[in-house]
Amino acid sequence: MKSFEYADEEIGQNEIGYVIPSVVIGAGILSLPRVLSEDTVNADGWLAILVGGIIAVFFTWVVTKLASRFPKKSFFDYCSLLISKPLAFILTAYMAMYFMLFASYEIRFVATLSQQYLFASTPKEVLAFVFLLVVTYAVAGSRVALFRLHQLFLPIIIGILFIVLLMAVPLIDMNHFFPLFKTSGTGYLKGTKSTLLSFMGWGALLFYTSLMNKPKKATKAGMIGMCVPIILYILLYVAAIGVLSNVVAANLTYPTNELAKVIEVPGGFFERMEIVFFTIWVMALFTSSIVFFDVSVVALNSLFKKVKKITLILVLAPVIFLVGMMPQDRLHLSKFSEILGYGGITVSIVIPTILLIVAKMRGVKGHE
Amino acid sequence: MFFKSPKKNKRKEQDHSKQEDFSTELSTSLEQNIVNIKKMLDQPSDLITRPFIVGETGPACAIIYIDGLTDTKVINDSIMKNLQIGVDEIESRSEETETALLDRLSHHFISSGSVKKVTTMDEASLAILSGDTALFVEGTDQLLVIDTKGWKSRSIEQPTTEGTIRGPRDAFTESIRTNTMLIRRRIRDANLRFKSQQIGRRSKTRLTVAYIDGIVHNDLLQEVNKRLESIDLDDAPESGYIEQWIEDSFLSPFPQMHNTERPDKVATALTEGKIAILLDGTPFVLIAPATFGAMMHSPEDYYERWMIGTLLRILRYFAAFLAVFLPALYIALVSYHPGLIPSKLAFSIAATREGLPFPAVIEAFLMEITMELLREAGIRLPKPIGQTIGIVGGLVIGEAAVSAGIVSPVMVIIVAVTAIASFSLPSYSFAISIRMLRFSFMLAAAFLGLYGIILAYIMVNIHIVNLKSFGIPYSTPFAPAFKSDWKDLVLRVPIPMMNRRPKFLQPEDEKRIDKEDQS
Repeated sequence: MKSFEYADEEIGQNEIGYVIPSVVIGAGILSLPRVLSEDTVNADGWLAILVGGIIAVFFTWVVTKLASRFPKKSFFDYCSLLISKPLAFILTAYMAMYFMLFASYEIRFVATLSQQYLFASTPKEVLAFVFLLVVTYAVAGSRVALFRLHQLFLPIIIGILFIVLLMAVPLIDMNHFFPLFKTSGTGYLKGTKSTLLSFMGWGALLFYTSLMNKPKKATKAGMIGMCVPIILYILLYVAAIGVLSNVVAANLTYPTNELAKVIEVPGGFFERMEIVFFTIWVMALFTSSIVFFDVSVVALNSLFKKVKKITLILVLAPVIFLVGMMPQDRLHLSKFSEILGYGGITVSIVIPTILLIVAKMRGVKGHE
Repeated sequence: MFFKSPKKNKRKEQDHSKQEDFSTELSTSLEQNIVNIKKMLDQPSDLITRPFIVGETGPACAIIYIDGLTDTKVINDSIMKNLQIGVDEIESRSEETETALLDRLSHHFISSGSVKKVTTMDEASLAILSGDTALFVEGTDQLLVIDTKGWKSRSIEQPTTEGTIRGPRDAFTESIRTNTMLIRRRIRDANLRFKSQQIGRRSKTRLTVAYIDGIVHNDLLQEVNKRLESIDLDDAPESGYIEQWIEDSFLSPFPQMHNTERPDKVATALTEGKIAILLDGTPFVLIAPATFGAMMHSPEDYYERWMIGTLLRILRYFAAFLAVFLPALYIALVSYHPGLIPSKLAFSIAATREGLPFPAVIEAFLMEITMELLREAGIRLPKPIGQTIGIVGGLVIGEAAVSAGIVSPVMVIIVAVTAIASFSLPSYSFAISIRMLRFSFMLAAAFLGLYGIILAYIMVNIHIVNLKSFGIPYSTPFAPAFKSDWKDLVLRVPIPMMNRRPKFLQPEDEKRIDKEDQS
């Protein structure tokens, strides 16, 4: 049966535009004001976000340019064209592992957070396991359905964030912002680095662009998509500093949640807003997790073409769970995220750049 | 073994002899034909055979029909009267063959709207069984089938399941002809198509696919036809059988086709580019494809002014939210996150819950199940008693349960609000799905509180985005996003602004209103 244009396993530019913010908005946003406040003074961190954001947008451009050169080709396929097959195999495997680790991290993060805010006595293994089940259920479905999930959830997530921001406005103390530009150069540099790490995720486009019906449009959609979290991050950061002040933000584990805590719902319907905020935030963490999980499945599937998708999922899910449960405490967890950060730099910045340069120099192009 | 075999043989012989008794071929002998028909149908008491002679001295004839399925007035006035009294010229042409005579009878004398010449016994018997009259003439192995269908049927009444304040009051009936008439009366388009087929190996029920050529997407039509062809049932007493046979996923709690008894709803669906499936014998017509958004629509949204329509829709989404989440939220808040409730309210809830024997989950399940029982009982009971049982049962049980100290008054309020919310959904099948979901959300809340609720919500969403109705994603036009269709989703913009047919159906003729004509 020839099906409807939009009912097949292809995606358009809209979907790509939705994926980027869905991936980026996740674990990072909760701790971002803290990370920035550690390195910058007063509200200077917004500049770091902006610079980090511009870098992120630039590399989104690099990634989409590279991927859209080879329409309908998987990462492994065009990698083999550019740099011999064995090297491509290693690269793809490395990427699959990176995304898998990232999925583990997200799942662990959900468990830790929900243990902290909702269930002090329920073991984190149970919380992570239930979450992983839902993620697996999503990934096991059709791939375009994942993109539809982003389309459904992203407006909710951004809407909730905006409500929190709006309600925080009356609480902002302007004194927390001034004086401006007091941060040293290294401070800005460090801040930029840490924001850049929280923007990681555009690497997913290396794999998803091959699903597009018009890959050329990926560039624009991806860059617009990247701008959404940048704007949100800046607004959120400014609000967090304005309400909590730099010093307080630097000493809270998840300042964004605390921001949700201090605001009050008119009418007094809910006390402790941060629980409601976190509950809805589970959706944001979920949308990131499904992308990481799915991309690692896509990557592995391009390596092992004969293996069924569902088999890969069933093999990966327990691994993700076990890896996610490995870090013993928060210290280990932040080590984990650091490793992920460096992995992210190689996956999202170094590898695509090298590949694009190679492609340009050798003039290799995929066939339409 | 030895003893059994003769018996077996005997039975076989019997079957054989029964088969041999009559011929399934039409013979030229009138008498033989009548005998064959009677044997085929095994001498039914409602089969009427009426032998007569055409004109004064014409050939022997007979009509056969089933009493009750036919309109005797038509038989008397347009067959019998004409053939017995009106025919004078038969004698003068006595030299002509019987077949030519048959043609002449059909051309000149039988004044019924539809006459068909039939040459096989199967066709003849099927025609007789569906209410037509067969006319046999001595000396020919052909016969005429005259349309005399006319049986008692319910008159057109008000829709019982989909009431509106403003809007047409007619509903479909059990007769498919009446139903197609109701649709035709609304759409006088030459491109409106009704394609009929028979469903059911035994029942041979008539099924009609209705669509508007030039609007409907060809793939959709082909898909519907392909699935209808695959149906292999003995009997199709209700369109629900068809729906369940051709739907995409039987594991889904959501209805994947609309069912409605409102002709206006079907008419608008057809003009949007959807397909309607009508089945004889049921007033419920199926509309395909169905989407989540369309389940929330009521025809009345379009009849009232746009602001009212929009407001009602928002209210309905809110009602669906309440119907799914309210008891679950109560359970989660009371048993896991009491800190979330404002302290004053928390105190009053805690005070009412003091001394209650059950945890909130059991309490909620107890009341919800009671509510479902009351609803179910109210439907089965005769109408006057049904309403009483609702009021008496609801009030008395609620009041008594509270004063007996089994459930808290807050729980009663929550159950009542939930029930009212689920009544306000326009599609009954969809409301049932919502009721089912409610229980799973309550379970999720009982296990993992708010976290469980949000995960359950995500799971429902995953299911919806994966679900398709005839190749069309159930979540359209939310996702995949068709922004131009959002004019008629949660909002209902003024009619002149809805100048395009829904894009997600990819209609061949997209324009509903020509902008040029408007100004």
